[in-house]
Amino acid sequence: MTDIVGVISEIVRLTLLFATPFLFASLGEVFAQRSGVLNLGVEGIMLMGAFFAIFVVSDKGLALSPWAGVLAALIVGGLMGLAMAFVSVTLQAQQGISGIGFTLFGQGMSSLLFKVLAGGVITVRGFQPITFPVLSGLPFFGTALFQHNILVYIAFALVPISVWVLNRTSFGLQVRAVGQNPAAADSVGVSVARVRYITVTLGGMMAGLAGASLSIAITNVFQENMTAGAGFIAVALVYFGAWSPWRVMGGALLFSAASILQNFVQIFNSLRGVTINIPPNLLIMVPYVLIIVVLIFARERKRVEPAALTKPFEREEG
Amino acid sequence: MSPMSSRPRLTRLLGGDPVAALAPLVAVLLALSVGAIILLALGKNPIEAYSAMINGAFGDDRSLFRTLTRATPLLLVAIGICVAFRGGMINIGAEGQLFIGAISATAFSLALSGRLPGGLLAILTLIVGAAAGAIWGAVPGILKARFDVNEILSTVMMNEIAIQLLIYLLSGPMIDPEQVKLGTRVPQSSALPEDVWLGRLAPPSQIHIGLFIALAMAVIVYALLWRTTIGYRIRAVGENRDAARYAGISVPRYLALSLILSGALAGLAGAVEVTGVTHRMVEGFAVGYGFSGIVVALFGRLHPIGAVPSAILFGALLVGADRMQRTVQVPSATIIALQGLVVVFVVSSEIWVRRRSARRQVSAAEAAPVARQEASA
Amino acid sequence: MRRQMLISLLIVALLVAALGSVSAQEPIKVGLILPSSGNDLAWSQSMYEGLLAVQEAMGGESALQITYIEGMFDVTAATEAMRDFGDEGYDLVIAHGAQYGTSLFELAPEYPETSFAWGTASDTGADRGITNVFAYGARAQEGGYVNGVMAGLLTKSNIIGIVGPVPAGDAILYNNGFVQGVNASNPDAEVLITYTGSFGDTAAAASAAQAHIAAGADILTGSAQQVPGAVEAIQSAKGYWFATDTNQAEVWPDTVVAAQVYNWQPVIQAMLDARASGVKGGIAFQPTLGDGALQMAFNEALEGVPAEVFEAGRAAMARIMAKEVYPLGTLPEEQFRIAIVMPSSITDLAWSQAIFSALLELQQQLGGPEKLEIAYTEGMFDVTAAAQALRDYAEDGYDLVIAHGTQYGTSLFELAQDYPETAFAWGTASETAENIFAYEANAEQGGYVNGVMAGLLTKSNVIGIVGPVPAGDALLYINGFQQGIKASNPDAEILLTYTGSFSDTAAAAEAAQTQIAAGADVLSGSAQQVIGAIEAIQAAGGYWFGTQSDQSGAWPQTVVASQVFNWTPVLGRMVELVATGVYGGEAYSLTFANGGLKIVYGGVDIPAEVIDAANAAIEAIKSGEIVVLQQLPE
Repeated sequence: MTDIVGVISEIVRLTLLFATPFLFASLGEVFAQRSGVLNLGVEGIMLMGAFFAIFVVSDKGLALSPWAGVLAALIVGGLMGLAMAFVSVTLQAQQGISGIGFTLFGQGMSSLLFKVLAGGVITVRGFQPITFPVLSGLPFFGTALFQHNILVYIAFALVPISVWVLNRTSFGLQVRAVGQNPAAADSVGVSVARVRYITVTLGGMMAGLAGASLSIAITNVFQENMTAGAGFIAVALVYFGAWSPWRVMGGALLFSAASILQNFVQIFNSLRGVTINIPPNLLIMVPYVLIIVVLIFARERKRVEPAALTKPFEREEG
Repeated sequence: MSPMSSRPRLTRLLGGDPVAALAPLVAVLLALSVGAIILLALGKNPIEAYSAMINGAFGDDRSLFRTLTRATPLLLVAIGICVAFRGGMINIGAEGQLFIGAISATAFSLALSGRLPGGLLAILTLIVGAAAGAIWGAVPGILKARFDVNEILSTVMMNEIAIQLLIYLLSGPMIDPEQVKLGTRVPQSSALPEDVWLGRLAPPSQIHIGLFIALAMAVIVYALLWRTTIGYRIRAVGENRDAARYAGISVPRYLALSLILSGALAGLAGAVEVTGVTHRMVEGFAVGYGFSGIVVALFGRLHPIGAVPSAILFGALLVGADRMQRTVQVPSATIIALQGLVVVFVVSSEIWVRRRSARRQVSAAEAAPVARQEASA
Repeated sequence: MRRQMLISLLIVALLVAALGSVSAQEPIKVGLILPSSGNDLAWSQSMYEGLLAVQEAMGGESALQITYIEGMFDVTAATEAMRDFGDEGYDLVIAHGAQYGTSLFELAPEYPETSFAWGTASDTGADRGITNVFAYGARAQEGGYVNGVMAGLLTKSNIIGIVGPVPAGDAILYNNGFVQGVNASNPDAEVLITYTGSFGDTAAAASAAQAHIAAGADILTGSAQQVPGAVEAIQSAKGYWFATDTNQAEVWPDTVVAAQVYNWQPVIQAMLDARASGVKGGIAFQPTLGDGALQMAFNEALEGVPAEVFEAGRAAMARIMAKEVYPLGTLPEEQFRIAIVMPSSITDLAWSQAIFSALLELQQQLGGPEKLEIAYTEGMFDVTAAAQALRDYAEDGYDLVIAHGTQYGTSLFELAQDYPETAFAWGTASETAENIFAYEANAEQGGYVNGVMAGLLTKSNVIGIVGPVPAGDALLYINGFQQGIKASNPDAEILLTYTGSFSDTAAAAEAAQTQIAAGADVLSGSAQQVIGAIEAIQAAGGYWFGTQSDQSGAWPQTVVASQVFNWTPVLGRMVELVATGVYGGEAYSLTFANGGLKIVYGGVDIPAEVIDAANAAIEAIKSGEIVVLQQLPE
C-alpha cells in the first residue's frame, strides 16, 4: 500500500476495465434510443451474451477461442435485439414493458441453460491482457493503459466510431431523424421501421458483447444473474450522457471509478490502525449518488432527447 | 399512450369488445406454448405443469387467497405507477420506494410500540410507510422538476441506494437484537408489534385486509386522476407538457407531484406487505415487486381500475409458477423465462386491441364529426 | 445417442426397481425451500447436496423423496410453499433461510405431524410450546479461523483480502473467524475487508478482488454465490483462495487451498432419526468444526503450499475442537478493554496464571493490544484493596472488569450497581446479576481423574494433599481427588493438611515434608503455595499431581499430570456478549464435557494402564456415568 503511484495506476487500470461492459451496452442503447426505441431489455440480453460467450469458450461447452465466444454473444444479442425490434417496431408494443419482459426472459433463460448445459460454475481462460513492447513497461501508464485485454480497447475505440457514425454518416442522420421526427423522416423516404430494426438489433449485439466482456474478459466465470443490474445502469448512463457517446463514456468512467474507489476506501478503512468506521453499505451507495449529483451540476448540457423516444411510429395510410 | 387510455371507462376496460378481451388471452396461450416447448426439452410434461399452475393459482379457496395476497402489493405499486406514467414520469424506482416505505413503517412501529393506542399506531404506521415512499419518490421528482435530471436514471440509482440503505439498517442499527445475541446476525428487524399487524381475512391463509386498502386506493386514485383538478393537471402534463404549460399549469410541480404520489403508493405497498404478511423486515423482502408492479400497471392500461384484474392475473402467474416449480420440479429459472415470455407476448398483442379500437373510433368519428372536432381541439 | 440410450436404460432400471419395491414402505417425504439456486456453489447448494447424500444413504427415491423449490427470495412465496408441503403431509420441511422463520413459526402449529427445520437459527420455539420445529446454524467462524491461520502462514506480502457480500449473517461470522485466525498465526499480516453489498454480483466481487490485489493482497477469501469472480481474479494473479460453504477446490484445484464445507447430511439424518423415534422438533443443531456437519477440506495436492501450512490448519482445527481456541462470532467494533484483579501473581503457575495466559492468547487472536487492552492488578489478597482496584477500573471505563476470586464477591455486587454500563465477572462463583457474569471450575472432576491415577501409582499406599483453606475451588479439587483415590485404590491412606494460606510456600513445604515423613509417595495440592510442596516431593523422589495450571514446566520428572483450567471459551464468550450489549447474567462452569478442563501430562514415564484408567474416568465423567460429588458425605 506504500506505493501510491502504483495504487493509482491500478485504480486507473481497473476503472477502464470495469467501465468496458457499461460502455458496450450503453453505446448500443444510444443508437436504439437515438432512433426512438427505449430498450429496457439490456440486462437480459447481457446475461444471454455472457452465457453463450462463455459456453462457447469453455471446456464444458465447445472449447473454442474467445473470439468465437464474442461471435456467439453478438449473434445471440443480435437475435434478441431483432426480437425486441419486432415487438417494439412492428407490433408497436410498449417499450418499457416489453424490455422488462426481455430482461426476465434473459435472466431465466440464461440461468436455465447454465443449469442444464453446464450444471455448475463455468470458468474459462478468456481474453488475456495484451503486452505491448515498451509501452506496457512504462511506469504508471504501463499498468494503467497498456495491460488491458483487447475488448477494453475495442470498447473505447467504439466511442469515436459511434460519434462519427451518428454525426457524419447518412445512416447516422437517418437514425437521428427517425428519433426526432419520424413522420418527417418517413415523408422524405426514410424507412422508420428499417432504421429502428437496425439500431435495436445493433443495440442487442452490443449488449450481448457487454455480457461477453463480463464473462470471458473480466471475470472469466459465469454465475446465474451475474450482471446484477448492470444492464439497468447501462441504460441510466445513456440518460446521464444525454445520448452523446462521449458523455456516455464519461458517465461509464465516472461510475466505474467511483465503484473502484469505494473498494479502496473500504480497504483503507480496514487497515490496522485506521479507526474511521464507515459502514460498507454506505460506501457502496457512493457511485449511484455521485451519478445523480454530477448530473445536477452538469446542467447546461445541450439537450438532444429524441422527441420520438418510446413512441411507436405508424405510417399514416394513404 | 394508446388512444383508448385517455378515455377510460369501466365498460371499455372490462369488455364490450370481445377481440380486445381475447387478444391478451391468446397471447398468454401462445407464450405458454413456447414455454411448453421449453418444458418438453427439459423432459417435463407441459400439461401436468400448466394444470399445476392453474390449480395453484385458482384451484380452490386457498389458492385464490394466495393469488389475492400476492396481488395486494402488486396492485398498490401498479396504481402508483399509473399516476407517474400518466403524469409523464417513467418511475422505475418503485422497488426502492417500496423498501423505504416498509423499513420506515417498521422503524416507526417498533419505536412507538406501546406508546400509542394500537389502532392509532397501526394507521400511523401505514401513513409513515406511504410518507417515506413519497419522500423517496420526491427525490427524483424534484430532481426532474428543478434540475431536469432524467427520472429513469435517478430512479434506477435510487433503487440501488435504497437496497444498500436497507442492508445497512438491517445489519446494523435496526438488526433484531435476538440475532445479535444468538450470534447468527441474520439481517432482519425485530418482529413488529402485533398492534400493527393487519387483520387476516381467512386464517390460516395469509390474505389480509391490505387487499381492501389496495382496492380502495384503486378507486381513490381513479377519482383523483379523473375527477379532480389535480388529477386533470397531472394527466395534462403527462400528455403534452408544452400544451400544459400554455394552459398555465406549473409543469415542474406536477411532474414532481406525480412521482411523489407514485412513491407514496409504493411505500404504502411496502408498509402493507410488512404489516400484513411478513411481520418483520428481512433482507430480500418483496424483491421484484417494484418491477412486477410496472408490468401490472402497463397490463392494466395505466388505469387504476384496470390494474385490479391485471394485478390478480400477475399474482396468479407468480403463485401458479411456484406451484408448478414444486410439482414438476423444474428449475426456478424456467419460470422466470416463462414470465418474460408472457409479458412480451401480451404486450405485443395489444396492437390488435389498439387497431380495432382505433377503427371503431374512426367509424364513430365519421358518424359524429362534430364531436370528433371538439375532442381534437 | 449413446447418452440417450444410457438414460433410457437408467429409466428402465429405475422403473424396475420402483416396481420391485411397490410393497415397501411409503417413502419419507422431504420438502426443501432454497433462497437462491440449488447450484449456487454456496449456501443453497450445500443443503441440497446434503439432502441428496441422505437420500443416497437411505437407498434412493424409494426411501426418501425430495421436492425442492429454489429461488425463493420472496418470503411470501416461501410461506405458501411451506403450507403446500404441510398440506400434502410431508414429513420434513426444510426452510433454508433465516428470513423464513417468522412465517414458519406461524404455520408450524397447524401441521403438528410435519417437522419443520430452519437455519441459520437456534430458536425452535420450544419456549412457546412449539414442538415440531428444528433449528440449525453452523459456527462458521470456526472454519474461518482455521482458514485464517493457514492464510496467515501462507501469505508472502502479509496482506490478505476478504471479499464479503453484506456485513451480516454467516458471512460476518466467517469473516470474523478468519481475521482471528490470521491474527493468531501472523500478527503482522493485514486483513483487508470489502463488501460488495450483494450476494450475486460476480463482477462486483471481481472488482473488489482486483482492488485487494492492487493493494498487495496475495491471498483472498470470501463468501456467497458471487465469489467465482473473486476466485478467478486471484487465480490470474497467481495467489491463493480460501473457501467456505462448499468445497470450491473442485472448480479451482490450482487456487483453493482449503475450504470450510457445510455438510448438512448428518444434521438432516439426525432430524429424520429424531422423527423416527417420535421427536418432531425442539432440537437446535449447532454444527461445530469437526462434528461431521462442519468440515474442513484441505487441498493438499496444491503445489507451492508447504506442508506446515496444512499441519497448522489441522492443529488449529484440533485446538478448536478441544475448545482451546474460541473464535468469536461477534468482534468488538472498537478497542475492547479488559481489567482483571487477581489474588496472586500472574506467574503463580496456578489460579491467576491460568486465566492470564488465556487473556494473552485472546489478545493476540483479536489483533493485539490495539484491539484488546488488558490491565491487571495482581497479588490482591487484601479484599479492600481489591475492591478499590475494581472500582478504579470501572471508573476508567473498562468494558469488562474481572474479579478473579470468590472473596471479591461482596464488594463486586455493591459496585456493579454504580456502573450499569460496565460488565463485571467473578469466580469461583455461580451468582450473577444484570451486569455480572459468574464462572467456576468444576475442579472436582479433574481432581477425581488425578486421584484415580494417584491411587494406581502409589507404592506406599499413602497419598498426601496440601490444601490452602477448605473453601472454593481448592475444596472442590481436594474432594474430587479423594473420591478418585477411593475409586482406584480403596485401601490407600489419605493425609490431608490445610496450611490456612494460599501463598505460604514455606508452610506448604513443611506440610509436604510431614506427609512424606508419614510415608506418602504421591502428593497433590492447590493454590500458588504448592511450589514449596512440589520441591519437597521432588527431593523425596515421589510424584505430584497439579491443578489450575500446567505445573510440569519446572518439574517435568515429578509432575505426573495437571488439571488445567481452560478459560479461553469463557473469556471469549464474555467478550462476544459484551460486544453485543449483554453485560452479564450468564454463569459458566468449566467441565470435561465442555472442554473447560483438561488433563495435561508431564514428563513422567507412567504405565499405559494408568493413562487408560484416567481416560476412562474422563469419558465416564463426560457421559455422566460418574458423578463426582462436590461435597464429601459426612
